[in-house]
Amino acid sequence: MKKTLSLVLVIAMSILALAGCGGEGSVDGYTANNTEYFIGGTGPLTGDASSYGISVQNGANIAIEEINAAGGLNGVNFKFDIKDDQAAADKASTAYDQLFEAGMQIAIGSVTSGSCEAFATKAASDSLFFMTPSASAEICIAEPNAFRVCFGDPDQGILAAQELTANYTNIGAIYDESDTYSAGIYEAFEAEMAALGVTYTVKTFNAENNKDFSTQVEALKDCDVIFLPIYYTEAGLIAKACVAKGCDAVLFGCDGLDGIAGQIDETVTNQIKYITPFDVNSTDETVANFVTAYEAKYGVKPDQFAADGYDAVMAIYEAMKAAGINDVTIAPDALCEAVVAAITAEGFTYTGATGTMSWDVSGAATKVPVIIELNK
Amino acid sequence: MGKINIKIKPKHLVNYSIVLVMLLIGVVMLYTGNLRPSIAQLFTQIGYSIVLAVSLNFVVGFLGELSLGHAGFMCVGAYIGGLSAVMLKQALGASAKLPVLIIAMLIGGLSAAVFGFIIGLPSLRLKGDYLAIVTLAFGEIVRNIFMNQKIFGGARGLTTGSLTYDTRRAPTLFIVTFIVVLIMLIIIQNIVRSKHGRAITAIRDNEIAAKAMGINVTFYKLFVFIVAAFFAGCAGVIYAHTTTPVLYTFFSYNYSIEILVMVVLGGMGSITGSIFSAMFITVVNFMLQSQLSGDLASLRNLIYAVILIVVVIFSNAPALKSFREKYSLAALFATLLNKKSSDPSKRKDDEAKWDRVPTKIKMDALLSTDLNVDYTPARPEDLRGGKEGK
Amino acid sequence: MITLIDGLSLGSIYALIALGYTMVYGIAKMLNFAHGDIIMVGAYAIMVTLAATVSPIAAIIAAIVICTILGILVEKLAYKPLRGASPLAVLITAIGVSYFLQGLAQLVFGSQPKPVGSAWKLPAIKAINDIGITTSAAVTLICGIIIMVALTLFIKYTKTGSAMLAVSEDRGAAILMGVNVNKIISITFAIGSALAAFAGMFYLFQIPNTEPTLGAMPGITAFTAAVIGGIGSIPGAMVGGVLLGVIEKFCLASPLAPYTVAIKFSLLIVILLVKPTGLLGKVVREKV
Repeated sequence: MKKTLSLVLVIAMSILALAGCGGEGSVDGYTANNTEYFIGGTGPLTGDASSYGISVQNGANIAIEEINAAGGLNGVNFKFDIKDDQAAADKASTAYDQLFEAGMQIAIGSVTSGSCEAFATKAASDSLFFMTPSASAEICIAEPNAFRVCFGDPDQGILAAQELTANYTNIGAIYDESDTYSAGIYEAFEAEMAALGVTYTVKTFNAENNKDFSTQVEALKDCDVIFLPIYYTEAGLIAKACVAKGCDAVLFGCDGLDGIAGQIDETVTNQIKYITPFDVNSTDETVANFVTAYEAKYGVKPDQFAADGYDAVMAIYEAMKAAGINDVTIAPDALCEAVVAAITAEGFTYTGATGTMSWDVSGAATKVPVIIELNK
Repeated sequence: MGKINIKIKPKHLVNYSIVLVMLLIGVVMLYTGNLRPSIAQLFTQIGYSIVLAVSLNFVVGFLGELSLGHAGFMCVGAYIGGLSAVMLKQALGASAKLPVLIIAMLIGGLSAAVFGFIIGLPSLRLKGDYLAIVTLAFGEIVRNIFMNQKIFGGARGLTTGSLTYDTRRAPTLFIVTFIVVLIMLIIIQNIVRSKHGRAITAIRDNEIAAKAMGINVTFYKLFVFIVAAFFAGCAGVIYAHTTTPVLYTFFSYNYSIEILVMVVLGGMGSITGSIFSAMFITVVNFMLQSQLSGDLASLRNLIYAVILIVVVIFSNAPALKSFREKYSLAALFATLLNKKSSDPSKRKDDEAKWDRVPTKIKMDALLSTDLNVDYTPARPEDLRGGKEGK
Repeated sequence: MITLIDGLSLGSIYALIALGYTMVYGIAKMLNFAHGDIIMVGAYAIMVTLAATVSPIAAIIAAIVICTILGILVEKLAYKPLRGASPLAVLITAIGVSYFLQGLAQLVFGSQPKPVGSAWKLPAIKAINDIGITTSAAVTLICGIIIMVALTLFIKYTKTGSAMLAVSEDRGAAILMGVNVNKIISITFAIGSALAAFAGMFYLFQIPNTEPTLGAMPGITAFTAAVIGGIGSIPGAMVGGVLLGVIEKFCLASPLAPYTVAIKFSLLIVILLVKPTGLLGKVVREKV
């Protein structure tokens, strides 16, 4: 019976050897049967982070409807499909393959940074253009085919450090050590504060573990300002913990804080400020139209993720228009080449729900950050 | 381990055949150009799920210790093996894919085995649920520690993009994965066959009696944990080759539980069962993900939960026993082969019938579960049968 | 000092959840992994009723009623058919139930965390607030102790309580003595779920947001607490919960904060290695 065993192994090894020589699969031409331009994407539609994914999905849907209602691109409509990745990288890469094989030509990448890194790795090997709405880690746009709508993590950390040191003396910070976005901003903030030579107190939390912030707020009770490079739901809880602890520090956050207005009530007296490209109450026409359409369709006001999702799709559309695409079955790599050329071209700007932006070869969007103060 | 008596039992042959057939299907598809990368990735996922399920079954089904921390071993393998693979690849160049994978797998597997030894130690002293919660705690501790290490990327995870093994034209990682499955099957099945395997199942069935027979309980318990952890670590390294970044969130207790679900669905102590249920669950997850996009995605948890509950109730409820026996796969095969259906009294040695689970998992007989009153030990019947309400 | 108080109040939430775990485990001999999700349902029930009626009392009653009914329902549908089967099979269905409830909550309410509403607030008690203790902390702690004492008395001095003890001790003998085991187990689940509703209520005082995964991590921590205290022991659950809460808060206040989870769970391992059946668990001699 030893023979059988060795036979099993020999068969297996020879298969490996054969396959190692390189099987040539015919895997091209997934887009040949497309009748609409296919924009793909992945995001957390279930699980802890799903509110972000769902917002992006909704925002993107509004954009697609708008584009198709206006006749699409040269009469060809757009199709949008977002797969659930539960904010997990392995699911994002499976989802990428599924979308690619279904004929995806261009994408909005992934909503969260971790997933987007996986998405970007796959997209780089296929030369597929993507414009992520909200994955802010630098690694997501490391490749030439990758672009983003949102601010990068380091930019916001540096800006916050400068802003805070200029206006306040006793500075505190609370960040989520378990979260890519939060840790990314904080790292840049930490480095910039060290460079500026300013000392501050920092506390961390782990959103996965516990959302009771009494200890952190207690420790930072006497600060003039608390820097919160975190998402709005936790920030809302921190604001409430501030009330309970009698802490009246200014709460200063980044774009993740957008949406905090819905989380707090009139008892919160702390002044809340955050860096954001999107103001839901803006009177700007593009923004107002988007907000109205979104509210009509989903019954809630859009948050920044929704606006980013909208802008990602619209920017892709504008870039495709600028590139003069008119072949609905165009392969992803050809489309990528044309769109990259168009979007990085001198003079290409796009004005959307999150402001006016332009792109260079790095893939980062150049736009003006605004610091919004929440009035109640 | 001394000389292992190599004989292939028909049942074991079935397991090799299943894996080989899947491997062959994959390779044929690859050559004829029908293997889509997403399917290749599914094959890889099935492969490492089988590795995880069978190695966990070795602990739960054969040794009889409930472990809820298997993803923790995988985490160790993925992080340490992944990092060494990234470094090796820088040293050896991008073309050395396979050697890097193999070396990394050994490193990842061995470091996971070290953790297997560490977590095996409490198993010498704790039983049942208490050990289960310790293994769960271990998984969370490992995650928390890796999350805080800058060298492993901290909260952003370990970037393993350079390791990507599959290319769109030649997605071949699944072949390596299935060979790992085969090697694991050869090792574990032969251990199970050998006198060592009998010693392990003896510990499961009655630890005290086993000790009295002169079986070195300490050695075997640690041994089983180390072997299982090693393979979970290998699975982790394979995972690191499919996904970037390797992020601590993936290895939560939920994933450990998913592996346990594979083992329980397949039948404790049944390797064939583990293989099939690992396939089943991976495919169900894949199908749900690919079919339910957009707004339908939120239905996924619901559907998965309902499938889980229905399958478990169907295959376990005492009330459905006669129904099950009538329509089970085994009965079907028996009629097809015109054989008498398997008589429970003629059960094979390593086939722990899992509705009468080993002593250790039968928590009620052994644990302190009383509320403020003195405990009276369970009657001998309880210790043997595991059935309640006689 | 403040950290200690914060820890006590967090700990009493853990303790309340752990009480539910321990009750169900002690009597039905199963790990009810869905317990955390029943808390979540309770929290949503409070939120919805509060939005409809603006009456905290109505919200509490609704939460308790809904959780109790849900607990009984889950027991009847998912656990009862498996009575007599392997405890592991029950463990898996419990996990299935947990996924199901989370999925359902997401479908109905969406996954976005929702603030519970400003009506959900304890009146400030100036005397305690002045020394730096929040009202919710004080109330949670006191209620936790009251519930624990009530539960112990219930089990000791009522007929149902004795029947529960009997079932926990020897199910076979209990049946022979004429105890309706199915009924007792249902009652256990009902009480356990009502406790979950209480836990949800206090959870919302401290952390006023509802979300579908709200129960998961507190559930696991509370399970850990129950094991630390000696699973099956009611005072043990209380001690374990409070201990974990305090340690967690002290970790967060110290420079070791990033390792809070690791420390919390290492504590469990250390305690179990020293005392394998938990702090207040009875030592059982193993017999052949």
